[in-house]
Amino acid sequence: MLNFKKIRLMTKLAVYEKKDGKEDIYLSKYYKADYVRLQVLKSIITATIGYGLIIALIVFYRMEYLIKNAVTLDYKLLGTYVLGFHIMTITVFGLGALILYSMKYDASRKKLSRYFRLLKRLEKVYNESSHDS
Amino acid sequence: MLQLLELRERIKNFYQRYDAYLLPVVKFIFAFIAFQAINKEIGYDERLKSLPIILGISLLSAFTPSAVMVLLAAVISVLHVYFISPILSVMIIVILMILYLLFARYTPKYGYVLLAVPILFLLKIPYIIPILLGLISTPVAMIPTSCGVIIYFLFQIIKSAITMQVNISIEDIIQLYTHVIDSLTGNRQMIMTVVIFSLIIMVTYFIRKMSFDYAFEISILAGGLTGILGFLISYLILNQSKQILSMILGTIVSIALVYIIHFFKLTLDYSGVEYAQFEDDVYYYYVKAVPKVTVTVPQVNVKHINVKSTERREFSDPDVDEAEDYGYDE
Repeated sequence: MLNFKKIRLMTKLAVYEKKDGKEDIYLSKYYKADYVRLQVLKSIITATIGYGLIIALIVFYRMEYLIKNAVTLDYKLLGTYVLGFHIMTITVFGLGALILYSMKYDASRKKLSRYFRLLKRLEKVYNESSHDS
Repeated sequence: MLQLLELRERIKNFYQRYDAYLLPVVKFIFAFIAFQAINKEIGYDERLKSLPIILGISLLSAFTPSAVMVLLAAVISVLHVYFISPILSVMIIVILMILYLLFARYTPKYGYVLLAVPILFLLKIPYIIPILLGLISTPVAMIPTSCGVIIYFLFQIIKSAITMQVNISIEDIIQLYTHVIDSLTGNRQMIMTVVIFSLIIMVTYFIRKMSFDYAFEISILAGGLTGILGFLISYLILNQSKQILSMILGTIVSIALVYIIHFFKLTLDYSGVEYAQFEDDVYYYYVKAVPKVTVTVPQVNVKHINVKSTERREFSDPDVDEAEDYGYDE
C-alpha cells in the first residue's frame, strides 16, 4: 500500500539532496574550524601563486633595468619589499577567506537543520508504519 | 497589458514544464553566439573557425555546466592568439590565471559573467550585465564584472599588439611585452569602465532594496542613467565623443532587455519541474514534482513576543493524511 505521507516527505528530501543540499551535505562532513582552516589555507596558496605571477610580470617588465644594474642593486631592500607585500597580500586574502567561508558554513548549517527536521519526521512515519503492520 | 500578462503566464508554464529540454537549447544558442563572436574578433586560426568544430563545442557546452563553456571559450581564444604569436598567448594565460587565482575563484557562481561581459561588449550592449546583476544578485558581483571588463580590454590590446611587427628576436619580444603591459596598466578607459560598472551595480542594488512601489523598475532606470552619465563624463574626459551615440543607444537597448527579463522573471523565481528518484523497503519511486503556479503574495512577517516558539513548518504538514483526499484507503 502506498503511504502518501512518506512519499511526500521523501520527495522533498530527494529534491533538496539533488539541488541545494549537495553542497550543504558535503560541508556537513567537516567541523567548522577544519573547513574554514582548509579554505583559508587554499586562499593563501592561490594568493601566493597569483602574487608570484605578478612579481614575474614586473621582473620581466623591468628586465633591461635589472640586467644593467645587476651588480649595484640593493637586493636586501628589494627582498624586503617583495616579502612585505607578500605578507600583506596573504593577510588580506586570509582574513577575507576566514570571514567569507565562516559565513558560508553557517548559512549551510541553517539550511541543513531543516533537512534534519524532515528526516526526523520521516523516521517517525517509518516507525508508525512498522507498528501498524 | 492583459494579453501581455497572459502571454507571460503561458511562457512561464511552458518553461516550467519543458525546463529540462529548454535549458540545453538556450545554452546551445548562447554558446554558438559566443564562439562566433570570438572567431569574428580574434579568429586567426582557420581550422578552429570551421563550422563543425563550432557546432561541436557549442553542443558540448549545452549539456555541461556553464564553467565548461567559459573554459572552452578561454582555451579557444588562447589557441587563436597562439597561432599568430606564442609569446602573447603565454601572456594571456598568465594574466587570466592572476585574475582567476586572486579574484574569480571566490565567486564561482558568477563564472559565466567573465565570458558574458566581453561577448556583450562585442555586441555593443555590455551595460546589460551590471544592471541585471544589480537586480538579481548582491554587490559581490562587482568582482566578476570587473574581471570581465579587464578581459575584454586585454583582448583589445592583444589585437592591436598582433598587428605590430612580430619577429623572433628577444628585443622584439620585450618590446611587445612592454607595449602590452603599458597599455594595460595605463588604460584609463578600462579603469573608468570598471568603476562605472561597479557604480551601476551598487545603484541598482540599493534602489532595488528600498521599499517603495516599483522599486525594481526604478532601479533598472536608475542603473541605466548612472551608466549613461558615467560614460558621458568618461568619454568627454578621454575625448572619445564618437562613441557617445552608440553608448546611449546600447544603454537604452540594455535597459529594455533587462526590463523584459524582469517582466518574465524567469531567473528570479526560478522553479522548474523536478525529477527525483528514491526507494524504501518496498518500492522504487520515480517522482516528477511539478510546482504549483501560484500568485505571489507579499510576505508577512509576524513577530511573536513572549510566546514560546512553536516548531516552524516550512513545508506543508505531513501529519495530515492526504490519502483520503485521493480516495485511497490505507
